[in-house]
Amino acid sequence: MWRERDKVQFDLHRRDLSPTDGVVGRASGAGVVLTVLGDLDMAGAPALRQAVVAEVSGGTRLLVLDLTAVDFLDSAGLGAMVGGLRRLRAHGGDLMVVCPEPRIRRVFESCDLDRVFVLHPDVGSVISAVAALGEQASL
Amino acid sequence: MTSETIPAIELAIPPYPEYLQLVRALVGAAANSSGARSPLGPGRVADLRLVVSEAATNAVEAQGAVGARDRIVVRCQVAEDRVLVEVIDHGPGFDPDAVPDLPDVETPERLRHESGLGVALMERIADEVNVESGSDGTTVRLVIRST
Repeated sequence: MWRERDKVQFDLHRRDLSPTDGVVGRASGAGVVLTVLGDLDMAGAPALRQAVVAEVSGGTRLLVLDLTAVDFLDSAGLGAMVGGLRRLRAHGGDLMVVCPEPRIRRVFESCDLDRVFVLHPDVGSVISAVAALGEQASL
Repeated sequence: MTSETIPAIELAIPPYPEYLQLVRALVGAAANSSGARSPLGPGRVADLRLVVSEAATNAVEAQGAVGARDRIVVRCQVAEDRVLVEVIDHGPGFDPDAVPDLPDVETPERLRHESGLGVALMERIADEVNVESGSDGTTVRLVIRST
């Protein structure tokens, strides 16, 4: 009997950063979390690119890409992330990456892109890093 | 080729990105085959899936660039101590030695390059990479060993 496949090929979920992420004060509401599900490869990369373009056009300047639920990442997915980072920075923003899985982190490391993206263990760590940068900037 | 523990498997896919997941699943399943004692631990199976995806992605891109609709062939053989994969396309071919190096990752110029990582990634992760390329297509052979 035919059964719907269990595995998600690729999907993106969007939500605003909220106080439950540890965001307080001025930073509240200033960022967006895009959660990537499934395989971030040549098939998934165009949707990620489109999502980043839409976010930047809509005014998002802090974009958190949560790869916790990514099953697979290759250089096509990394390319979309590099393009996203460039786009965000060109608009004075930043793209931060949540990537706790050693298997996925290894792909960044194999391309030395762990030197371009800081890979955070969770969204809370991103918020702490952004807050620390904000403090440095206000010194 | 000596001491193959399961027969070679072969898959012919239409040259579209939607089939890449299938390629990874097939090759990963072959490496984990219950009919043979897998030569690779889970980490190396993940590496195998990655390098196969890179080779198949390059094949899809190469054929897309010239509108070639021929099927891309993926062959996989599992032996006692390693897995061999071949990815064969009918794209226009390329010179693997002519793939330009990317700028250093710590320079702003690096962010201008969204592609060009695939061959370097295969060479870094696979134990052997062999590329035969001509005007009628490209064959990439990859070997992942158990250690």
